[in-house]
Parts: sequence; C-alpha cells; structure tokens
Amino acid sequence: MSVINLRHLQPGTKIGLADGSTVEVVSNPLDGIWVFARYLSSPRDTSLIGTEEMIFAQDIVEIR
Amino acid sequence: MATGRRYRGGLVDLRTGLISREIFVNEEIYAEELERVFTRAWLFVGHESQIPKPGDYFVSSMGEESAILCRDREERVHVFLNSCRHRGMKVCRYDEGNTPVFTCPYHGWSYAADGKLVGVPFFREAYHGKLDRSQLGLVEVAQLATYKGSVWATWDPNAPGFLEYLGEFRRYLDLTLDGWDGRDGGTEVLGGVQKWLIPCNWKFPAENFSGDSYHNISHRSVDMVGIGPSGSGRRDTRERLVARRLQICFPERGHQTGVYVLPKDQPTPPAYQQSPVVSEYFKHCEEERRRRRGEWGRVTGSPGEVFPNTALHPRQPRTFAVWHPRGPHQTEVWRWYLVDSDSPPEVKDFLRQYYIRYSGPAGLTEQDDMENWNYAHAASRGTIARRYPYTYEQGMGFEVENYEWDGLRLPGSVMDITEAKSSEHNLRNLYRRWAEFMDAESWNELATWRALAR
Repeated sequence: MSVINLRHLQPGTKIGLADGSTVEVVSNPLDGIWVFARYLSSPRDTSLIGTEEMIFAQDIVEIR
Repeated sequence: MATGRRYRGGLVDLRTGLISREIFVNEEIYAEELERVFTRAWLFVGHESQIPKPGDYFVSSMGEESAILCRDREERVHVFLNSCRHRGMKVCRYDEGNTPVFTCPYHGWSYAADGKLVGVPFFREAYHGKLDRSQLGLVEVAQLATYKGSVWATWDPNAPGFLEYLGEFRRYLDLTLDGWDGRDGGTEVLGGVQKWLIPCNWKFPAENFSGDSYHNISHRSVDMVGIGPSGSGRRDTRERLVARRLQICFPERGHQTGVYVLPKDQPTPPAYQQSPVVSEYFKHCEEERRRRRGEWGRVTGSPGEVFPNTALHPRQPRTFAVWHPRGPHQTEVWRWYLVDSDSPPEVKDFLRQYYIRYSGPAGLTEQDDMENWNYAHAASRGTIARRYPYTYEQGMGFEVENYEWDGLRLPGSVMDITEAKSSEHNLRNLYRRWAEFMDAESWNELATWRALAR
C-alpha cells in the first residue's frame, strides 16, 4: 500500500480510515499531517456521521 | 571595581560612572539577565500590519525564545511560545505566513491560531480519550498590548500594563508611531524585517541607540559619501543649526531618547530634496503636524530605546530595531522599517531605497556601528581586559528636571547638549534600570513610581 500524500488531498475527496469510517475532506491545512473532514459513515460510532474532525495522516488508509 | 563571576551590586556604579565589563561578557550574568530582565520586561514583538488577516502569523522572538505573533479566526491578536507542549519542538518553522493550525512535525500535535490544542494523534486509542487537551494549549504570554500598530508582550503577569510601563515616555514613542502629519498612528511596516547576527553583547547596540551622541566620528566616512536624502551627509539635520538638542530619559522606567526642539515660529527646515515629490510630501506633513500638535509639533525625534532592547529611530530612517540576545557574545538584530501607510507610492519607494542605504546589514551607517560593537566586545573578553571598567562619566550632574525652553516643557530628566555636544546621561539611565532589574525580586520593587505617587 502506497503512502498517501496528504498535501494532495483536495476538499471533496472521500477517504477511508483505519477503523472503517469514510470521511470527506472539508479543508486541508497543507501541513502533511492533518486534514479537516466530515464523517460520512462510521461503523465504530454512528453519532460521528455529519460531524467534522481533524483526521490524522496515519489513520488514513485509502482514497475512495 | 569588583570583577565577580555573577551579577552583584557595584558592577554598575553610577556614583563614579564606572561599569564593569563583566556585565557584557560574563556568561553567568548573561543567564541571570535572561531570567531577571527578559522574562519581566515588556518586549516588542511586531506590528499589526504584519498580520492583517485571520490566520496570519509572524514568528518573533522574546529574549532567546521563539514566539508566534498571530491573529485568530475572531481576529484577536495572540503571542505564544513557539514550542509544543508534548516534547518542545517548534510548531512553526517559517518566518511568516497564514495557517489554520500550527502542527508540530515531531508527533503531530496541532494547535489552532487561538492556541488551543485541537489535534492529538491517537487521542482515543493511545490516550484512551483521557488527555485534558484544555490544559495543554500553546503557552501564551501573560500580557499583550497593541499600541498604534506596534505589538508588545511580557511573560510577567505582575508587570504593570504597557502604558504604565511607558509612563510619559509614550509621547516620545509616538514620534515614531504617529503619522508624520501628526495623526494618531497610521504607520505600516515597509517590506520585510531584516535579520542578521553580530558578534557582540546585546547591550552594545542598546546603549548606542539610547543616545550615544559621542560616536558621530565613526560615521564620518558615510557623511563624506553623502547618502542622505538631500544628497549630503547621512541624514537631513538642518534643524541642528537652530534647535535645542536634548537627551531625555526616565530614570524610574529605563526608557530614553534624543530630541530636537525648534524655536517658536521656526518652520521645520526642508528635507528630502533629492526628490521633489518626497520633499513636498514631508513639507505638507510637517505643516499639518505643527497645526495638529501645536507646541509639541516643534519636537522631532532622534534615536531612543524602550527598555530593555527595543530601539527607536523616529526619522531618517524611521525604524524599530530589536536587539535579541543570542548568548553573551552574540546579538540577532531585527529591524522593521516604517512608513505612513497612506503615503504615495513614490514616497514609499524613495524611503525604501534610502532606508536600505542607511540601515541593516548592508546599510553604510549600520556597518560603522557594527564594526565598533564587534571589536569592542571581542577586546573586552580577556582576563586582563575585564579588570578595567568602562567609563560613563560624561555630563554627570548636569541633568535638569522640569526642563522648559521657549515656552515648551518636556517631560523626563533632560540633558541639554546643544553646547556640550554630547553626554552619557541616557546611557547611564539604561544601565541604572538594568541593574535595578538584576537586583529586584519582583515588580513590587521595580514599579518605584507607584510608591512616589502614594
């Protein structure tokens, strides 16, 4: 699996997380470590759906 | 004269006018002054025009420590220690820019522009959601003040407010920060901030800008070249022919400056005559200033110093400089160039070129100064050299309180050097205050004016 360069993630990009969640990038501070994203689904905690969180690079496993 | 290994009373002896070289070269004294001076005094950190928009930041310095000046999403100005709360890594390694977050590259902790810790990697997993992020924001200065565009901060919660710290010196600081036509404020930083290292103790330049009027001979070659904005000398100084030349200090505060006071009804002499546009601009401004400020409009500034390490150069060139300590034997100079924000582009361009010609690492006048400070410092470090104190006796006992001339009273302790040509009045004031900071345990002892007011 190749390492995703967070600096390339544009707002609107859908990404998959290690816990099985899918989030959509809202904004990117371009620090290569975090993106701001909104939860579209979360098998771990459905209350997260619709909320925005900072997503850490090492939690991101794929671009969907 | 004692030559101790640490600071103690007697190294600054203002009865005799002798000051030990130890306070410039001793490494233990240096470590003490970082604690006793730089964590307690108000320090200049930047200018609001450097951070006009939310998310804008400028990485500044307070003492030896990196500090972030920034504007948050609600447009509030902050100053933070540039050090992650987790392992201390700098969270910002650029000079300036705009960002929604400051992210530590070491382990990834991330902070919003209001200092709050907003991102902790593996917060749920590794910390089990139990880390109290509300207590781990960036370390913020104890007090911050914005004054006519300039931004100042102190780490000491018990320091007096900034305007109280300035006292009546505020009127002299205004000579740099007010519009040249006498309006309140209205300056902006022209271009970037020049930064460079010089091999001397920070007090050499601080003393020089406090009012060392004796070293004019050092600049004779620049005067001969004629870099001034009217084609001769290094500045336009025709007011010297008619004005009173004064050194003014505030013993209880540690601030000092030089000024010129023109006689009543004497118009400000013409300046900037290499450019008709610039000359006309300043002529108009001077007339407006005299109209707006009345008798105070007769006062024009010359170099000064806000204690401990912020230098003022109110005109020709109009700059702020900070002498950042970088060890006992090194200073990092940062120089900001100021202009009236609404002055015409031709004026800004002319001043930019003149400022660079005069100041900064490539400026002809500043090079003269650096040469003196660097070699003086190096020649003061030796075992034998340290046995011989510097002398600051010039003009001792000739200062005047409640000075008044031609209908204008000037606040502060004043030395009239119109005939004397020079004194070390202001230099002694710098070291008097420095010694008080080194001696005092708290601001209860340093705010002596409060006891006098009771």
